[in-house]
Amino acid sequence: MNQMTATESRVEIAGVLVVLQASLSLVAGLSAIPFGIVEPGFRVLSLVTILVAAMMFWLARNLRRGRRWAWRWLVLVEVLSLTVTVLLTLLPIGTIRGPVPLLANLVIPWAVLVLLASGSSRSADPRPGPADPA
Amino acid sequence: MYDIATDHASALGAAIVLLAFGLVFLRLLRVLARRQAGWAWRFLAGFDAASPMAKLAAALMLVSGAVHLALVPGHDGITGLLFIIDGLGFIALALGAFTTTWWRRPAALWLSTTIVAYLVWVIAGWEAPDQVGIACKLIELIALGLVMRLKNPSRAGWPRRLWRATAFPLLVSLTTLGIWIGGLVHPDALHAHAGAVLQPVASVATPEERTAAARLLADTKASLRRYQDPAAAVSAGYKPGPVSDADPLLHFQNQANSHAVLDPNRPQALVYARTPVGLKLVGAMYQMPRVGQWGPDPGGPLTQWHQHEGICFSPFGFEFSLETPFWTCPVGSGSITTPPMLHVWIIDNGKSGPFAAELDKAARRQLTGRSSP
Repeated sequence: MNQMTATESRVEIAGVLVVLQASLSLVAGLSAIPFGIVEPGFRVLSLVTILVAAMMFWLARNLRRGRRWAWRWLVLVEVLSLTVTVLLTLLPIGTIRGPVPLLANLVIPWAVLVLLASGSSRSADPRPGPADPA
Repeated sequence: MYDIATDHASALGAAIVLLAFGLVFLRLLRVLARRQAGWAWRFLAGFDAASPMAKLAAALMLVSGAVHLALVPGHDGITGLLFIIDGLGFIALALGAFTTTWWRRPAALWLSTTIVAYLVWVIAGWEAPDQVGIACKLIELIALGLVMRLKNPSRAGWPRRLWRATAFPLLVSLTTLGIWIGGLVHPDALHAHAGAVLQPVASVATPEERTAAARLLADTKASLRRYQDPAAAVSAGYKPGPVSDADPLLHFQNQANSHAVLDPNRPQALVYARTPVGLKLVGAMYQMPRVGQWGPDPGGPLTQWHQHEGICFSPFGFEFSLETPFWTCPVGSGSITTPPMLHVWIIDNGKSGPFAAELDKAARRQLTGRSSP
């Protein structure tokens, strides 16, 4: 029944969560394109968001393959994402209102960070794994 | 834009209770296993052998099952029946994760079907998307992603590998799109337009409320006479907000009035239209100090406050877009909710009336020479 080690399993969970985040970012980027017709700033922001989403798909793929640099970049992205969310939450602008923003913007990035940290501490030298099927 | 429906709130508690119950259940099983209960021992052996990924997938399915069962009392007919079947199915599959070897495929099918069924219900208007439903779909999507990654892919050919790589992001995107379509196609009575939520009020105004509304309009008009010239507004402490190409209206705000409540002599903002011949004063905006704090509505349904929710604000150019149902915004913008506001239009605002959330399209076109974006 146990087809993978605990460390591999944690990395896989982190990978799934990062792919979910990337998919949500992709939709956020695509949905901003119509606003870019009248709001020039959103043309740039939507493009940047789509590029970030593509980068996260790529990082998730390389995380599963055991690439150390992907692990580092993901830690950086998640820390940045959490920091911005926490700062926005501290402002009285209603950023986190209800379970959905709590899950999507706080719990998931935090869970990815915990999984990456635990995966790293248990596997000091992640080797390049077998070719990722994704 | 998406709140927690009153009859759905209990489901959040049910999910937490079930997880706590699950931990107690595991402890009880360990006690029974030590007392040589064969079935408890077999379940625990499966649980201990399972990877963290399988355990998490099972836990998420348990949460979804608990949420569906907790929602049954608020849903009659076929929806309630399907919730019972769905909830029990999720619980059975979560337990099956530790007792069977064939649970993954049924779990993937059950999760996918539940998500698709939710989208059908939302798009058809049989269920309004709210935060409990959307959070539940987020949990189910994570569980599905985990279940899809559990199978050993070493012998899979390229079509299956391509499917595994694209199916999950595609389903996440379609789910987001489906919930969005459902919410926008079937807005409830409290959504004036995308992103603006109206204060709950009675449906018909009483004669006293009509009189009070007329008085508020007259007092606001009288007070605003002194601000026809934007220079007078500036000298009184009002500061013009950032100019956006998308919005022909310009708000001059006065922070000194931020704690005044519906005071015609101290409105929080003055609204000017950018016309071809310069700025023209078209109304005032009253605003409450805090998010979620509805203001007094002397005119009842005639003076209905609104607050903007579910919008992504970018400080780069002072621009707005709409948040996705999963509360995500483009990079460089953040989710904001404004404190409740009430506009009083001192010009003829057409069919929308003097207290509408927005300037009437015809009035806007007449003032600026262009239609609203």
